[in-house]
Amino acid sequence: MDFNFDIIWGYLPLFLRGTLYTIGFSIASIVLGSILGLGIGFGRMLKNPLWRWPFDVYVNIFRGTPLYVQILIVHFGLVPLFYGSTNALISGVVALSLNSAAYAAEIFRAGIQSVDSGQREAALSLGMTRRQSMRFVVLPQAIKRMVPAFGNEFIVLVKDSSLLALVAAPEIMYWGNTMKGQYMRIWEPYLTAAVIYFILTYSLNKLLAYIERRM
Amino acid sequence: MEPIISVRHLRKSFGSHTVLGDVSIDINSREVVVVIGPSGSGKSTFLRCLNLLEQPQGGEIVIEGVNLMDKKTRINEVRTEVGMVFQQFNLFPHKKVIENIMLAPIQVRKWPEEQARHKALELLKKVGLAEKAEVYPASLSGGQAQRVAIARALAMEPKIMLFDEPTSALDPEMVGEVLAVMKDLAREGMTMVVVTHEMGFAREVGDRVLFMEQGAIVEEGPPEALFGNPQHVRTREFLSKVL
Amino acid sequence: METRKETKTRNKWILSALIAILVLAIAGCGSDKANNSSNTGSTNSGSNAAETNAPETVVKFASDAIYAPMEYMDKDTIKGFDIDFIAAVMEEAGMKYEVVNTGWDTMLQSVQQGTEYQAGLSAVSITDERKQTYDFSVPYFESTNMIMVKEGSDIKSALDLKDKTVAVQTATTADELMSKIMGVGNTKLKRFDSNAVAMMELDNGGADAVVADIAIIREYIKNNPKMKLVGIKDTPNFGSEYYGILFPKGSELKAKLDPAIQKVIENGKYEEIYKKWFGEAPDLTNLKNAK
Repeated sequence: MDFNFDIIWGYLPLFLRGTLYTIGFSIASIVLGSILGLGIGFGRMLKNPLWRWPFDVYVNIFRGTPLYVQILIVHFGLVPLFYGSTNALISGVVALSLNSAAYAAEIFRAGIQSVDSGQREAALSLGMTRRQSMRFVVLPQAIKRMVPAFGNEFIVLVKDSSLLALVAAPEIMYWGNTMKGQYMRIWEPYLTAAVIYFILTYSLNKLLAYIERRM
Repeated sequence: MEPIISVRHLRKSFGSHTVLGDVSIDINSREVVVVIGPSGSGKSTFLRCLNLLEQPQGGEIVIEGVNLMDKKTRINEVRTEVGMVFQQFNLFPHKKVIENIMLAPIQVRKWPEEQARHKALELLKKVGLAEKAEVYPASLSGGQAQRVAIARALAMEPKIMLFDEPTSALDPEMVGEVLAVMKDLAREGMTMVVVTHEMGFAREVGDRVLFMEQGAIVEEGPPEALFGNPQHVRTREFLSKVL
Repeated sequence: METRKETKTRNKWILSALIAILVLAIAGCGSDKANNSSNTGSTNSGSNAAETNAPETVVKFASDAIYAPMEYMDKDTIKGFDIDFIAAVMEEAGMKYEVVNTGWDTMLQSVQQGTEYQAGLSAVSITDERKQTYDFSVPYFESTNMIMVKEGSDIKSALDLKDKTVAVQTATTADELMSKIMGVGNTKLKRFDSNAVAMMELDNGGADAVVADIAIIREYIKNNPKMKLVGIKDTPNFGSEYYGILFPKGSELKAKLDPAIQKVIENGKYEEIYKKWFGEAPDLTNLKNAK
């Protein structure tokens, strides 16, 4: 196997541009996914099974089907329905957000339920409303426990965003595929992509470790 | 005089298991009522019904003229007048001791921070822990934690205090310091309902003792009568085991 | 403080180790390159000779069978023009063979190594860039690219595509041609894993045109009459391209298969297979003259 660095240099500007897209997709999706996931997580904690049902279904579907298929459905089904035509940037953010919301919902639910019920009871017994006890007592403790799980989800999301190459979203893997197509070579594009993803996730790891220490 | 707490035909069950059969009792202002009984007798559940931490299936609970079972009653407003101290303290571990005490007055009573801080320091002094204001609960001993929990409940200036086995989770050498704080409180005229196994406390501080078994109040009376001359065979059996 | 410092140092070590592994891997590849290039041109490199000398050797072809009608999977059987064609060629050459659907990436990598698979058969167009890494058989199929648009589109030729959004399949010559016309980094050129997805993009309004092999466009238009699609031929801009069988550099197999391919093209077998798959007789003039 020979390794041709020249073609990597040629593609480097495209890879860098792709990196910005990957970062953009990941951040937008973890933010939107977390907001959506918080709502779904609370939905999953509803006492009435009838109200809880749609949230259970949501989580089960998005965790139980391949992201690959979800991206195609969002890109060719959902987005054209609302936007009129396909749009890889919208599909990318929507598909990743919907998917990560399912995981975020479980992280929220597990985090909140891991807080001892006595904490909530103590808050309520002091006259706090349910909302106040959630906001001032339960959530601050739960979030602290959620940070590692969220970090993990974020890292998975960064790597999962490579599947968006499927619908020609111009992120890292897309340019890897393009390079592969032009030169019909495997290792130069894939290893370059892998190194970039590694740098991204490694930095993210560092950032998360810092945040965890600070909390 | 109108009782401050009036309970009528209180029923509570978990699934098919009946915990409280048909409990009725009146408690007067400034009275200290001690609830004793074997574990599983429903005494803790009874206490937790008094601020609706447990939702009863039937009956009536009236506190200061407000019927808790009325759908229109805003329970969180009632709870501001009814403090509670738990067996496991339930201090908020992410907040410093003083923040634990200040949280509810600021968020619920809408006190300015200065007023809440002043009150918190005053209460910490009262329970003998002024120097612990700025530490986190994790560094407190069990006895200290429970005293902070009492201060936290008192910060809301409640009219009634509920104690759910406040010394059961403590090492024996720390029980005294918590009971001492409770005795002070009783002396000051606080209305108290105390679920406990501390018979000495019941005898010394209680105005009235309730003996509960199998979800019912079997016998009640002043401590000297109940301890000295129990009327019911079950009470006698129980007391012979614990005394 | 002490422990944090320790973790820091440890992490630094892990990072350096990882970088070292990557660098070594790449360096290893680099030194291989030197060996390879010194062998380039010599046809009797050891391992290949050993394999092809053995009488019972089965030649294994790798293929990416998502390219109907050239090669595709019918349930678990690989079918298509290429498959029938190679059957005729291998019969002519008197060799045993096998075609395996490995997918595109595996085909590229394993044919480059030449150990498990000795050749690639997947409607691969012969280009100068690819010749740097592989050897090709003599051309066995003439093709050209075609533009597919919706009826009523103002696109008339390849040059009209410059400012449009165009969908292609990655790694096809359509990709290559459109990259040259529109620019490699142009995001209005959308590359997909397969033509099927590219065509869905057109169908959903995400692209103004699809560019792909003529056989594939015709097949798609024929199968989807309701979509009101039009195929546009642009010979001046797209020109002809030729498919070849993909070999590792310096493969001995090329010398054995080339005469067999030519024989099949000349003895009428090729025409028979072509008619079966495309319903018309091929024009072989260009193919016979192509190099």
